Amino acid sequence: MHISDGILSAPVLIAGFIGTVAVAAYTLRQLDLDDIPKVSVITSVFFVASLIHVPIGPSSVHLILGGLVGVVLGIRAFPAIMLGIILQTILFGHGGVTVIGVNTMMLGGGGLMAYAVWQLRHHFNIKKKEMIFGGLAGAMGIFSSGIVLALSLVTTGEEFIATAWYTLIAHIPVMIIEALVVGSCAAFLAKVKPDALAGQLPLAPAVTATAAATTKPLNEDSPK
Amino acid sequence: MPLDIDRFAKLESPLQRWDPRIKLFTLGIFVFSVALLKTLPIACVAFFLAVGILRLSNLPYDFVASSVKWVIFFLLPFFIIMPLSYPGEAAFYVIGLPFAWEGLQLATLIFIKAVAIILTTFSMFGTARFDVSMIALQHLKCPKILVQMLLFTYRYTFVFIEEMRRMQIAMRARGFVMKTNLKTMQVMGNFVGTLLIRSFERSERVYKAMLSKGYQGELHTMVKFKSEQQDYIKSALVLVTAVIILALDFSGLFLPAKQSWF
Repeated sequence: MHISDGILSAPVLIAGFIGTVAVAAYTLRQLDLDDIPKVSVITSVFFVASLIHVPIGPSSVHLILGGLVGVVLGIRAFPAIMLGIILQTILFGHGGVTVIGVNTMMLGGGGLMAYAVWQLRHHFNIKKKEMIFGGLAGAMGIFSSGIVLALSLVTTGEEFIATAWYTLIAHIPVMIIEALVVGSCAAFLAKVKPDALAGQLPLAPAVTATAAATTKPLNEDSPK
Repeated sequence: MPLDIDRFAKLESPLQRWDPRIKLFTLGIFVFSVALLKTLPIACVAFFLAVGILRLSNLPYDFVASSVKWVIFFLLPFFIIMPLSYPGEAAFYVIGLPFAWEGLQLATLIFIKAVAIILTTFSMFGTARFDVSMIALQHLKCPKILVQMLLFTYRYTFVFIEEMRRMQIAMRARGFVMKTNLKTMQVMGNFVGTLLIRSFERSERVYKAMLSKGYQGELHTMVKFKSEQQDYIKSALVLVTAVIILALDFSGLFLPAKQSWF
């Protein structure tokens, strides 16, 4: 899901860039040295996974997984999604150079919203909460991206209001599929490798608690 | 869709010889000026300029077309949605829906600009090795951390595509067929989860290997850039053209696409 070049007006494009630079600067500052290769490697998994097409009746949609990025990477989802979008622009020409800002706000914002929903699971004590909140996070990722997309179209001009409605409606099946896939993926990760999920208690952040334990001595040896 | 955008970086042409730093800067400005265009005739001029620049690069037609056809496919709905949903006077009615010429103009403008920009993207990134382009970006004040992450992500994309293909073959060998049902979604969720866990473990090995080779947050490269007079002449030509088309576009000689044809 992305918006192409040549549609949005200059103020919207500029707002997208300003927003992206601000959020990216903040989130990139949160990254440690060992996050750089990790976040990039995981970004490439999402990049590859978004090439998977899932059939809907006679046609098919590709997975977006913006919500899952939030569930796995937490706040680092934003720079990860930005990387994905820049790469997509360079490699496929999808989207375009001028809409990198808007597209990052759209999908990266969705990732952050998904993370917020995902974190709510700590307040509930129910069975299969990873599956339920993973699913909600997956749906939230698409939902908030769809809203940003619609808003950027509407603020460009009133002639795009109908287009905005069509895109919002077109996102409903995508939302359902993402919810199912992200939900079962979160449940799978919770069972197999809980460290891989973001915001796990009690050792909250860090990609993997075990990794931090094993790489620490190496870190201390290396001169800074 | 070709993932290795730099497959033809070794071809000999004025674009490949262009200093990547100056090339990315100049064509970047060109792309932004195309994105700001509001009139159809000037957008057409920009489109032919983009085609001209791409022709100079000697990139094979098939290579470019395989990506561009997808972009065109995604843009086609605009030709249906825009004319039928444009607020204003309807020229005639199609099965009860108002059809406005202004909407069709707007769709055409969007289409031409988008294709022109994508063709230019190929001229920008298809004419130098990917790592060289990225290091050029770093010279253009792109944050170091971003450039490093882009290089890593690009590198590992190919690894994981292979990994995914192997896993898909294994799934098919066990008789899995994708359908529109809950089971498929569940299996796909587990599939992505497995891919993630493998990548986590791989990223740990990668990081340790990097540390043992002395990684401290800096990438050292042997790429050296050299800019000559020719590079600046090319750049000046493109920039002057970009300014001229923008000036013509804003001059009011042509009416914006929303108002009438010309």
